[in-house]
Formats: sequence, structure tokens, C-alpha cells
Amino acid sequence: MDSSGKEKEATALMAEAEKKVKSSQSFFGSLFGGSSKLEEACDMYARAANMFKMAKNWSAAGNAFSQAALLHLQMQSKHDAATNFIDAGNAFKKADPQEAINCLNRAIEIYTDMGRFTIAAKHHITIAEVYETDLVDIDKAIAHYEQAADYYKGEESTSSANKCLLKVAIYAAQLEQYPKAIEIYEQVGTNAMDSTLLKYSAKDYFFKAALCHFCVDMLNAKLALQKYEDMFPAFSDSRECKLLKKLLDAFEEQNVDAFTDAVKEYDTISRLDQWLTTMLLRIKKTIQEDESDLR
Amino acid sequence: MAAYPGSHNPFADDDDEEETTGSRSKGGFNFNDEPPENRLTEAERRQQHLQQEVMRTAQSAVDSSNRSLGLIYESEKVGTETAEELMRQGEVLKRSERMVDNMEQDLRTSQRHINSIKSVWGGVVNYFKAKPDPKPPQREQPVGYQANSKLQNALTESKQQEDRYQDSHPNLRKLDTSGFGASAASNDNPSNQNGHPQNRHLKAAHQKLDCNLDDMSLGLSRLKNLGLGLQSEIDDQDVALDSLLNKVDNMDGRIGSTNRQLKKL
Repeated sequence: MDSSGKEKEATALMAEAEKKVKSSQSFFGSLFGGSSKLEEACDMYARAANMFKMAKNWSAAGNAFSQAALLHLQMQSKHDAATNFIDAGNAFKKADPQEAINCLNRAIEIYTDMGRFTIAAKHHITIAEVYETDLVDIDKAIAHYEQAADYYKGEESTSSANKCLLKVAIYAAQLEQYPKAIEIYEQVGTNAMDSTLLKYSAKDYFFKAALCHFCVDMLNAKLALQKYEDMFPAFSDSRECKLLKKLLDAFEEQNVDAFTDAVKEYDTISRLDQWLTTMLLRIKKTIQEDESDLR
Repeated sequence: MAAYPGSHNPFADDDDEEETTGSRSKGGFNFNDEPPENRLTEAERRQQHLQQEVMRTAQSAVDSSNRSLGLIYESEKVGTETAEELMRQGEVLKRSERMVDNMEQDLRTSQRHINSIKSVWGGVVNYFKAKPDPKPPQREQPVGYQANSKLQNALTESKQQEDRYQDSHPNLRKLDTSGFGASAASNDNPSNQNGHPQNRHLKAAHQKLDCNLDDMSLGLSRLKNLGLGLQSEIDDQDVALDSLLNKVDNMDGRIGSTNRQLKKL
């Protein structure tokens, strides 16, 4: 009951704010301090939006925030406009993802205009996440992650950039864009090798890169494995490297059972996640295809 | 039929087994009907039981070592993810500090402007006050955020530990196989035939166990180093956080006073 009360209040506020805006545009309004009226209207829109949020009416809240943002733009206060667009985006996320993306895009435009690339990158990531979950458009998600990574690199935040790049690589490999994934994994792996803390994850990246090579062509995988072992001696001791060698052998002999056994053995100790299972299944399929071709 | 009441069987659940084997040999009595051999098979059966028990315990040891190994790898994975997140956080902290420094610069310039606006006298004073030298906007890129290098020492230390581990291992291995060599030689009846494959299995199980233990020790040393690295990184970030906190507090005060001044204008 309280929420509907809040909604009524909110709608009343919105109406008032609109009146203010209209009045400020009229001749007399602009004479008598139109800008303060606009500011008041902005405030009212913001308050109305918050009340809508309390009432859980997300699309109305989003609308109110966008109105406030537009007013701020008119008043040339870009920063406030951008913050309000972000609020609008957050509110829309729960109701209408497409609208949310629009608001977030506008906010990003303003931020990049002002030169605040880090914040813009952060919101690119938010948009990409929306594409991942609600709208399930992997290509656009990849594009946004890439953009975010570029901005982060421009601001010398390599760890954040790497985080985005890794997501790009995961999706690229799933979509069979192997060269891209390989490049990213090798790059991140080489970076990680040198850092004292990150080198424990380097073997993981090389493993994934080698798997992508494998999906393309076995010979590539062999050469790549050799290269990684030379670059990073600790890699040869890891179980991932041993698994890769076993898989390569099984592939050479076209032995599906050996392949499955090696994978199962690895799985008993370290669970294989979704991505790894998909890639390994693809590789296994190529073995089976070759076998049936030979027959 | 309780054919062997004398056979004090500690393994209660094997009672049924023993009875069924007893009845089977009774049925087989028609074919190889030699009572002395029945009595012999009692000791032999006892030995078989014991060997089976040994096999079982060895297998369960291997299984549990597999599980431990899995757990160690899982911890390592969690550790590496934490490490990456920490690195990212460290970068963010550094960036925040830089921004706060920039803000301070900007506040100082705005303070000067306010002074000049407030009064003509203020403007004159300003002219004589030392200009807050506009430092070139502090865009000193953090050249490859370096985590603590205390890790290097820890690494070399743990390498030495590893060698000591290696030394202790081969000794253990020798003990096990020699022990089983002895038991294999002690009996020469058909039970020996059953005994041999079990010995091989046992040897294999023990080797697997040793392999796993080696891997576990390696994994543990890696975990230790990872932990040490994480600890030093967190210590550094702690210091950075404190200084950031101070700067932000100062900033807060100054912004408040600037706002008040602006209101008075």
C-alpha cells in the first residue's frame, strides 16, 4: 500500500516538474531566472525517480532519470547528466534491457567526451554483461568488452584490461574465432609470466591457448606447446601440460579411447569447467571424423 | 555350514564369504577330495583375506591422496584468482590516489580564484603569494605495477625445501617394496599365484601414492609461495589505503570550506 502511495507522489512530482520545464521555456519564465527553474525541475525529476524506485516501478524510474539527464544536458552540466543516465540505465536493467543499453551508451558518450575513459570502460563492461545475460547477443558483448579493454589499456590499467580481454577470448573461442582467442591468451600469459603474483595463473592461459591451437590444427598445437615450454619452464611440470601431451599422442594415433581416458583422469583431480569441456568435445569430434573418413 | 569354527575371523562381514567359499569347496569336495588340502586352504584363505585388506587400504589411501591433490589444486586456483583481483585492486588504488592529487591541485587553483574574487585586497595578496606551481598534470603512468619481490626469497627457500623432500622419499619407497618382496617369497602354494598379481597391484598402488604425495608437496610449496606473495601485496595495499584515506579526508575538509566560501560570495 505504501508503494502505491509513493507512486502517486512520484507521478505528481513528475507532472509538477514538467510544468516547471514548460514554464521556464515560456518568455516570462526565461526572463525570471529560467535556469533555476530548470534546476528545480531536475531535482524534482530525480526525487520522483527515487520514489518510483521505492515503489519498484523500474521503467517509470528510468524514464524520470532520463528526463533529469536531458535537462542537465540542456543546462550544460555534463557530469550530472551522465550520472543521471547511469541511474536510468540501472533502473531500466531490471525492466527493459534495450532501453538500459541506450541510456548507458549515451552516458558513455558523455564520459568519453570529457575524457573519463576509466568510467566509460566500466560501463562498457556493464553493457556487455547485459548483452551476455538478458539479451544474449554474444557478438555485441564481445565488441563492448573489447572497447572496454582498449580504454583500460589507454589508462594503463593492465589488470582490468586483461580481465576484459579474457572474457573476449572465452567467447571468441566458443564462436570458433580461434586466432583471436589464441592471440589474447598468449599475450596475457606472457604478461603474467613476469609478475610474481600472476605467474601462478600463467600456466592456465597457456593451456587454453594450446587448446585453441588444437582446435585449429594438431601441428600448431605441438609447435605451440614446445614454444610455451621454452618460454615458461614451470609449465612443463604442470598437469595441464601433461594432459596436453597425452591428448596430442592420442590424436596422432587417432585413438578416441585414449583421449577420453586422459580427459577423465584429469577430471578426477581437477573438475573441468563448461568451456574446457566444449573445446575438448570439439577436438574429440575431429578425431572421430578422421576415423570415420579413414573407414 | 560352520565348517571352520576354529578360524577366528576378526572380519565379521567376511563371515558370509567364508561360509560360501566353505560350501563351494564342499561341493568341489567331489572333485578334489583331500581333507588335508581343505585345512591348508584355511590358512591360505586367511592370507588372501589379509592381502585383500591390504589392497583395500592401499586403494583407499590412493583415493584419499587423489582427493587431497584435487583440493590442493582447487585452493591454488582460488589463490590465483584472488591474486589477479588483488593486482587489479592495487592498480585502482594507485589511480585513485593520482586522481585525488589532481583534485588537490585543482582545489588550490580554485581557492586562489576565490580569494581574488572575494576582495581586491585578496587579489593583491594572491599576486605576492607563491604561485602553486602548476605541476604537469600527474600522468605518471604506473610503470607495470610491480607486486612485492619478497617472493623471490621465498621461492629460493622453498626450492631448498623441495630437495629435502626428494631425499626422504626414495627411502620410503624402498621400505615398502622390500617388505612385500619378503611376504611374496614366504609361501609357495597356489596361493602364491593369487599373491603375485596382488603384489603387482599393490606396488602400482604404492607408486601412485608416492607420485601423488610428490605432487602434493609441490602443490603445497606453490600454495605457500602464493600465500606469501598475497600477504605482502595486501600489506602494501594496506599502506596505500591508509594514505589514500588521509588524503581524501583532507580533501573533504577543503571542499567543505570552499563550498562555504562560495556560498558567502
